[in-house]
Amino acid sequence: MSPYPHAREDRPPTAASRGALTISDLDKSFQIGGQARRILDNINLDVRPGEFVSIVGASGCGKSTLLRLIVGLDTDYSGELRLDGERIATTSLDRGIVFQDHRLFPWMTLEQNIELALLNTDTPKARRARIVADHIALVNLTGFEKAYPHQLSGGMAQRAAIARALVTEPKLLLLDEPLGALDALTRVHVQNELQRIWMTQRSTMVMVTHDVEEALYLGDRVIVMSPNPGRIRHIVEVDLPHPRDRRSPLLHRLKDEILAELTSGADAEEARDNLVHLPSREVR
Amino acid sequence: MATRAFDYQILAQTGRTFRLERLPLSSFVAPLALLALWQLACLTGLFPPQVLVPPSGVAKALADMTASGELQRHVGDSLQRLLIGFVIGALAGMAFGATIALSQLAEAAFSPTFLTLWQVPVIAFVPMMVMFLGIDEPFKVAVVAIASFFPMALATFDGIRGVPRNWFEVAKIYRLRLFQLIRRILLPATVPAILTGLRISLTRAWVVLVAAELLAADSGIGQMMEMGRQLFQIDVVLAGVIVSGLIGFLLDRGARWIESRASRWRTA
Repeated sequence: MSPYPHAREDRPPTAASRGALTISDLDKSFQIGGQARRILDNINLDVRPGEFVSIVGASGCGKSTLLRLIVGLDTDYSGELRLDGERIATTSLDRGIVFQDHRLFPWMTLEQNIELALLNTDTPKARRARIVADHIALVNLTGFEKAYPHQLSGGMAQRAAIARALVTEPKLLLLDEPLGALDALTRVHVQNELQRIWMTQRSTMVMVTHDVEEALYLGDRVIVMSPNPGRIRHIVEVDLPHPRDRRSPLLHRLKDEILAELTSGADAEEARDNLVHLPSREVR
Repeated sequence: MATRAFDYQILAQTGRTFRLERLPLSSFVAPLALLALWQLACLTGLFPPQVLVPPSGVAKALADMTASGELQRHVGDSLQRLLIGFVIGALAGMAFGATIALSQLAEAAFSPTFLTLWQVPVIAFVPMMVMFLGIDEPFKVAVVAIASFFPMALATFDGIRGVPRNWFEVAKIYRLRLFQLIRRILLPATVPAILTGLRISLTRAWVVLVAAELLAADSGIGQMMEMGRQLFQIDVVLAGVIVSGLIGFLLDRGARWIESRASRWRTA
């Protein structure tokens, strides 16, 4: 019997057009020192409803910028970004995001922080407390409803941020290195939680990470990006059912391949350029 | 429990300062030493007793003035001016600070003038204000209001500008409306800065008020000292110094207490 009572069958859910993300011919430039610098170049990607997509790549490959565009915090781009056919023009309660820093408000309790997300939804007031409690339970924080963010550990605060992002039941959840600031053990724990939550919640998720192992463990597909300008270099299908076993030989083989890809050739050159060059310790 | 842990942390970080906050015995050492030095200077006869009144003389003056109700009248008058002027000045300062923090146009238009005027000692406005307002209540209230206005405007400005961009992004993601943004995020986030501004305004306004009363007034703690000087009652002057110092100290303490109560969550 499955340990996850709400777990779905592994492939996309039957509910059509819920959380289908389409990215076509997406370009994005920033003005840096009076010069246009291309950050994202010709990104094309279709994310299926209910799919978990991980994005990995060297720093500077524009992966966080991509998430900011998808969530609608930055709308200055060319090309197409559509969620269920609708063009993305600003933020929406249909698209949630979890950042690397939890961004909970320090003067609100955990409960109040999560409830804030429901403020402008049409959820009836009477049901809100119940929904908040359910989501606190979903991220295993029951008992901490009245805690302030500074009273939570890093992993707990991050889970609280995930609960806040999910409470509006977004069609699409974006995760911008959500576990980047956690220690190794907490990270593994929250990864397991995230997998369980995703299997329960059934929303589409797109996660940016530095950690190839994490990307493979959670993702149905892993998008490998290359920097300067950010491009999709390679898409890896991870054909394993969820929940996954970290020891799976397939995961390890794919991890070695992706790491080799990220640390070889042009990307490695770029990575070296990103290092701080101290005069006496030049990389030769 | 977390609050207690925090207290220990502060203790470890600031050691002595923290103990002073709690007013233990050690904070009485300096005033007592000063008192002893004062008494000693009187005993040497370096200055005639009419000029340097001994502590006992000042204590007697304080007791006499309290008994006659004169001291209470002066203190009451001063505090009333302080209260009215402070409420007007602080509210105006808050509104002005918020305006230049939220509107770049307003900032460009007003902030150079504001920053220039801020550099002028409030007392420098007194001669002009006496000409326009006379030396009655409106003048003193206006002095207090001006003295409160500037620190309050600056603190409000810094408080609002100091709200992390990240928090605005969260507000945008959850589609908060302007009013919701102000009430739920901007206000709570700026409360600590605004309370600090209120405390600085209040203590500054008190100092300026006493100085203004010294220059031109018909009652109040400053006027009491000025009358004492003119009548060569140095005991009354020194009593005024002590009373105004104590009131300033208590205003600061009270405001600090409110500040620490209101920003308890800031223990991250």
